[in-house]
Amino acid sequence: MRKLIVALIISLVSVSSMFASGTNEKTVSEDSGKTRVCVVYTGNLGDKSYNDSCNIGSQRALEEFDIELKSLEGSTNDEWKSNLLSACEDGYDLVICAASNLQPYLEEFAPMYPDVKFAIIDTTVNEPNVQSISFAQNQGSFLAGAAAAMFTEKSDISGINDEAVIGWVGGMDIPVLQDFYTGYEQGAKYVNPNVTILKAFAGSWNDPLKGKELALAQYEQGADIVMNVASGTGPGILEAAKESGKYAIGVDLNQDNDQPGSVLTSMVKRVDTACYLTIKSVVEGTYKGGTTSYLTLADGGVSLTDFSVMRNALGDKFPEDIVEKCSVINDKIISGEIVVENYEGFGPSAN
Amino acid sequence: MDLSSILNASLIYATFRSATPIIYAALCASLTQQADILNIGTEGIMLTGAFAAVAISYTTGSWVLAIIVAMLAGLLMAAIMAVANIKYGADICAIGMGINMFAIAITKFLMTSVFGMRGTFSNPDIVAIPRVVIPGLESIPFLNEVFNGWALTEWFVIVFIVLMWFLLFKTKWGLHLRSVGQYPMAAQTAGINVTSMKYQAILISGLIGGLAGAHLSLGYSRLFTENMTNNRGFMGVAAMFFGNAHPVWTSVGCLVFGLTDSIGARLQAYGIAAQLVLMLPYIVTIVVLSISMVSKYYTKKRRQSSLLLIR
Repeated sequence: MRKLIVALIISLVSVSSMFASGTNEKTVSEDSGKTRVCVVYTGNLGDKSYNDSCNIGSQRALEEFDIELKSLEGSTNDEWKSNLLSACEDGYDLVICAASNLQPYLEEFAPMYPDVKFAIIDTTVNEPNVQSISFAQNQGSFLAGAAAAMFTEKSDISGINDEAVIGWVGGMDIPVLQDFYTGYEQGAKYVNPNVTILKAFAGSWNDPLKGKELALAQYEQGADIVMNVASGTGPGILEAAKESGKYAIGVDLNQDNDQPGSVLTSMVKRVDTACYLTIKSVVEGTYKGGTTSYLTLADGGVSLTDFSVMRNALGDKFPEDIVEKCSVINDKIISGEIVVENYEGFGPSAN
Repeated sequence: MDLSSILNASLIYATFRSATPIIYAALCASLTQQADILNIGTEGIMLTGAFAAVAISYTTGSWVLAIIVAMLAGLLMAAIMAVANIKYGADICAIGMGINMFAIAITKFLMTSVFGMRGTFSNPDIVAIPRVVIPGLESIPFLNEVFNGWALTEWFVIVFIVLMWFLLFKTKWGLHLRSVGQYPMAAQTAGINVTSMKYQAILISGLIGGLAGAHLSLGYSRLFTENMTNNRGFMGVAAMFFGNAHPVWTSVGCLVFGLTDSIGARLQAYGIAAQLVLMLPYIVTIVVLSISMVSKYYTKKRRQSSLLLIR
């Protein structure tokens, strides 16, 4: 009897631990002849940001095409690597690496599995069986930075102080995020050369409490508005804005409604489009390995939301001039009148 | 760099705010340590408590009920540990780590299957632990900035530290517990039920761990994320070692962690490399533990030499 109980406890613990590796959504059996797609995430779904955006794209493809879809989540480096390897081994037609954290592993595995079609979002991997899709996040962030720098001057709005200080909190210190910041800083300085920008990294994609603490620290240091580029760490940053009566800027998906009245706008990055188009290309047989695409402000790859949630929240006090100015800047970037700088290794020429 | 924007009044509350969850975790680990049981499972107990608190607060809208259920959830996890360790002699570190992994898995599983949410569980219907606004304090700038708007559980932790100290060092029960930890055979000879004391220690520790989790998800924030404890339980265990399982010194250790974390958050904004700043809490952990180990070594040596003199 005793042994039975011990065995029961051990098996209970080990069986349920398997859920932790985060495998799900195997829709149909393996020999159905459908296109089999696997998306490997660096982080978890449910971040209401980058990963969810990618998932929206793959779910859309699942509805429209006859495919089988699997999503692999993970929160640490070794989980990402083993998830990618198991995706390679499992004979999928298409393996999508959802984020740039997977780049070194894809560079290692892509030559080992020449028959698998790969795609990577947010960075470039130069292999014949990899399609790379990057975004001009610097252009979108330029707009966000400009909006933030204008907003911090509106001291008649509650919670805004006299100092021209804005903040920025990122998830992990990776090159893509530096590209975000490069644009954000340039955009803010374009509007007001004297603006101070506080910058911090949480060191994680899924620690909202750390994000909250960093955002609160920046608010206490005089920032009125903080942009988050932090996936699952982001909800904490938006919560900090709500709680301290300050403001935030959303990222990747439209986060304006996550804490309504506290999120000025969101810099939307169409990861969903990238994911959807890649799956579509494989289904329709137009997939081409070794190619790179770069989605910009002009293509609608990145954009700001329409400020409507904030307009409703602030009513008469809503500064319409920010929206007008942003749309002018938007046109100037598209026409090439404003050239937004890139972080080293990014931009159309980097491909 | 402007030093006044780093060392100011808001740093005091920030330190306390980020230390509080670790203090609860450290007290959870301290109680069992007094009975010579290393509670590695603190992290998992806390995570389970955090999930239970959010789940109950969301479904019932009562934060009081949420805390109670969170503590019971912690108790349940601790009970698994207690039975496996005391009754069946399982290694406490192995079962503790098992609990930690189990907690990550079960909370993720329940969040997806019962509530249909993934990654983050945040909803306007989740009722947070209320914040204490002291009337009349608004007019005093410094005190207002430091003391107003603390969560109820942040005030309670101060009471709780004193309570733990009283329980361990001023009551018969505490004496029994410590004697079980220091010399179980002597305790048994004196007629203390060692097994029962160990059970009590782990189970009560589970209640505290559940409270730690409830504070994390409802007091410190108002959401639940997968693995939201993010090693705070382990930092609590480290602080427990630093403070030699004494509630007051352990809490001081936690405040050191909180201070480095808060200073780090402020330093980052001034262009100090993020990697360096994010390392700070861990460097401090190593330094703090080294100091406490060295001091323990000398205390032990001094005791030995005095024994030699008596002979």
